Amino acid sequence: MKVEGTYTLPAPRQRVWELLNDPAVLARATPGVKELQPQGNDVFKAIIELGIGPVKGTYAGQVSIADKVAPQHMRLIVEGGGKPGTIKASGELRLEEQDGRTVIAYSGDAQITGLIASVGHRLIGGVAKQMAAEFFKALERELTR
Amino acid sequence: MVISRALGARIKRREDPRLITGTATYVDDVVPPGLLHVAIVRSPHAHARIAAIDVKKASAAAGVVAIWTGEDVAARCGPLPIGPRIRDMKVPKRYPLVIDGVVRHVGDPVAAVVATDLAAARDAADLVEVTYEPLAAVTEVEAAMRPDALVIHPELQTNVCFRVTYGGSVDEAFATADATVSLRLIQQRLVPTAMETRGVVAQFKGGELTLWTSTQIPHVVKTTVAETVRLPEHQMRVIAPEVGGGFGSKLDVYGEEALLAALAIALGRPVKWVETRRENFMATTHGRGQVVYVDAAATRDGTITGLRVRVLADIGAYSQLLSAAVPTNTGLMSCGSYRIPHAFAEVIGVFTNCTPTGAYRGAGRPEATFLIERAVDAVARALTLDPAEIRRRNFIPPEAFPFKTPTGATYDSGNYEPALDQALQMAGYKTLRDEQRRLWAQGRYLGIGISSYVEITGLGAAAALPGGSWESATVRVEPTGKVTVLTGSSPHGQGEETTFAQIVSDRLGVSVDDVVVIHGDTRAVPYGVGTFGSRNTAVGGSAVFIASDRVREKAVRIAAHLLEAPPDDVVSDGARFHVRGSPQRAVEFKDVARTAYKGAKLPPGTEPGLEVTHFFAPPDRVFPFGTHVCVVEVDSQTGEVMIRRYVAVDDCGTILNPLLVAGQVHGGIAQGLAQALFEEAVYDESGQLLTAGLPDYAVPKAAQLPPFELGHTVTPSPHNPLGAKGVGEAGTIGATPAVVNAVLDALAPFGVSHLDMPLTSRKIWEAIRAGGGQRGNRSASRPSP
Repeated sequence: MKVEGTYTLPAPRQRVWELLNDPAVLARATPGVKELQPQGNDVFKAIIELGIGPVKGTYAGQVSIADKVAPQHMRLIVEGGGKPGTIKASGELRLEEQDGRTVIAYSGDAQITGLIASVGHRLIGGVAKQMAAEFFKALERELTR
Repeated sequence: MVISRALGARIKRREDPRLITGTATYVDDVVPPGLLHVAIVRSPHAHARIAAIDVKKASAAAGVVAIWTGEDVAARCGPLPIGPRIRDMKVPKRYPLVIDGVVRHVGDPVAAVVATDLAAARDAADLVEVTYEPLAAVTEVEAAMRPDALVIHPELQTNVCFRVTYGGSVDEAFATADATVSLRLIQQRLVPTAMETRGVVAQFKGGELTLWTSTQIPHVVKTTVAETVRLPEHQMRVIAPEVGGGFGSKLDVYGEEALLAALAIALGRPVKWVETRRENFMATTHGRGQVVYVDAAATRDGTITGLRVRVLADIGAYSQLLSAAVPTNTGLMSCGSYRIPHAFAEVIGVFTNCTPTGAYRGAGRPEATFLIERAVDAVARALTLDPAEIRRRNFIPPEAFPFKTPTGATYDSGNYEPALDQALQMAGYKTLRDEQRRLWAQGRYLGIGISSYVEITGLGAAAALPGGSWESATVRVEPTGKVTVLTGSSPHGQGEETTFAQIVSDRLGVSVDDVVVIHGDTRAVPYGVGTFGSRNTAVGGSAVFIASDRVREKAVRIAAHLLEAPPDDVVSDGARFHVRGSPQRAVEFKDVARTAYKGAKLPPGTEPGLEVTHFFAPPDRVFPFGTHVCVVEVDSQTGEVMIRRYVAVDDCGTILNPLLVAGQVHGGIAQGLAQALFEEAVYDESGQLLTAGLPDYAVPKAAQLPPFELGHTVTPSPHNPLGAKGVGEAGTIGATPAVVNAVLDALAPFGVSHLDMPLTSRKIWEAIRAGGGQRGNRSASRPSP
């Protein structure tokens, strides 16, 4: 399952980078995040609630940030498991500044197991795309906080 | 000789009233007092190392009585035995009931949770925390055979489980051929989807273990599970109550059967586990799963001179009872109905990180029929010959039987051309070909597909099962003249309560209604083999036949004594015996029965009672055959296939009951057609089963099936007294290639010569758009010298 796309935020790249590195912002902006506890070294313990079509569940796991090159590149890794199965997702974010705005190019890949795979596999691509859009919209709202 | 119309009569199945009124007893209807419920925690990974299992939370949950992981199970039972071994077969040393180290397919069991009710067991199962270290997975046979492929069972150092060959050199046939064809065919994995999933209830009481299980082989389960849980066999009883379908998927001894037995013994309370539909998709054996390469050589007139077959069979993660035996049938039967002088077949079994494969309706013979029937059509196309004509030209002639094929099967009897002729006549073949040409001109795509099959029934699988190829029956005449039949064969929908009663009625002259047939309870019936490979009638029925005849011989001796006549002068007519030439000097069958038990009036030296047990062992397997014709129309705009006609002419030897034969053929065709058009178990590259339930796995509905037009020829088998062959799988075996050949015939104007099953409208639409076949079909025709 692969997703990719771009999103443009009306703020300079440095400002967007700071937002992306703020655990409180991440907790608020990431759809379904119920808890996000910093464990140090850009690793967070997370509890995420997620519905993929008829497959709804709560996943416990961790979110980590890797391959950071400020303020232009980072990798977000989400690993979690719950009753409906497990998810291991990795997403790459590239930030580019254009006329005072920031274009984020993202691409991600996920391995899924269990009910999410067997029942949710047709829907998960769409869900991931929608979640990415929600995430960036929430980030945009954070700019005006 | 008794003259009776019971054999061959259209008698309705006596099983049906209880089935359609919901009064039948299935495993899930068995509720012993104090019953506990079991839920099984299964691996969501196709391949992973179990780093840790934490059962603390689950153990503390309400209602939980016990939780067993792999280690707990290993401490209490031995591993399950591995299926029959083929020479040089490589299999892991142990096959645990519950995995304690590495899981090798999605659905592998890792823990069992026992609780006071089902909901508590399932909820607690969700609380078992298993930490997996995922490993890479391999899901396709050809990938698993590459030298650099990951090895699923490291101790074997290879994923190749076995390799067997049939036949001899074909090089000369190919070197001198006028035309050759080569095909690569995918036999997609199928999920048997019996309406009743598997289920087990185990109760240990008074030193005896009773196991109710939804199985095709209760006796084999008894012997095997007793050994696995280390219980003396005489303290174990297995009951297969009503079994709601199996299609081969219950022709296995499963880990859950031994697990439940061990739990019942350890906990001292009865336990029940009934598979959910999702579990059934992941944890019950799948069918088919082969990649097949076939090359055929022919002379210009269409005579097939050589056949080369390579079958790569997907065993799945473990070799279960019949995982290896099933694909060997494909090699053995690869020549089909044809006299092919030179043939060579090799069958290679390969481990993958998928659910183990096993028997599924046809078990290796549908795959064989598919490869030869596709190849014969490809030869016909290469030489521009009519598909009916090329079959006729290559059929084994009736005078050649018994016929030994170059791959080593000995066909008992056959007369293939009349079945083909009857099918063509019923379909109106010549008219259909004219109509096809007319419709093509109008842009409508009619296709006619022919499949002439021969298959193996009366199967012994002698090496596979304790005992062998026989079946047992006791025919007991009660003192009032009513008859109880105890059969060793245990049905899962075959209707033997009806047909076996017909046999007894025919042999003893009693009414069918005066016969009851008991099966499936190892405490009640003699040791038996089971129901598979369409063997019930030919083998189990013959045991009933011979036991009945021996009962009649004794009854005649008693009647003669009562009538004061020599036994040779006593004639049985219906339910009485009389002295030849003096119909008034007669005695009723029921009076003979009473005399047998009273003893006083028995002929001197005669043992009391009127009961015979017979174990019937046929000399060899038998080979039913037939021709199916399918007529389709393909919508070139949508790729949709509409089946316009379906004609099946089957020769299953003697027909005991035409209604039951029709029922078997209907169901068989439905499943064969389902493989051709709809069904496929799909794994993604990481080994996730994407079709793990009925919303994603396309079992056809009645409205998607055509009306079936059935015909029969009758060529009795010399190998059993009934002359019966078997018809439980014939429909499935004949149907798949008939449908695929029909669709490819319809697509011929687009240059499409090959498509892999299932033939979904999307695949067909894409092939039409591409204006040619998929890769995989390479055919060459030599120019005339």
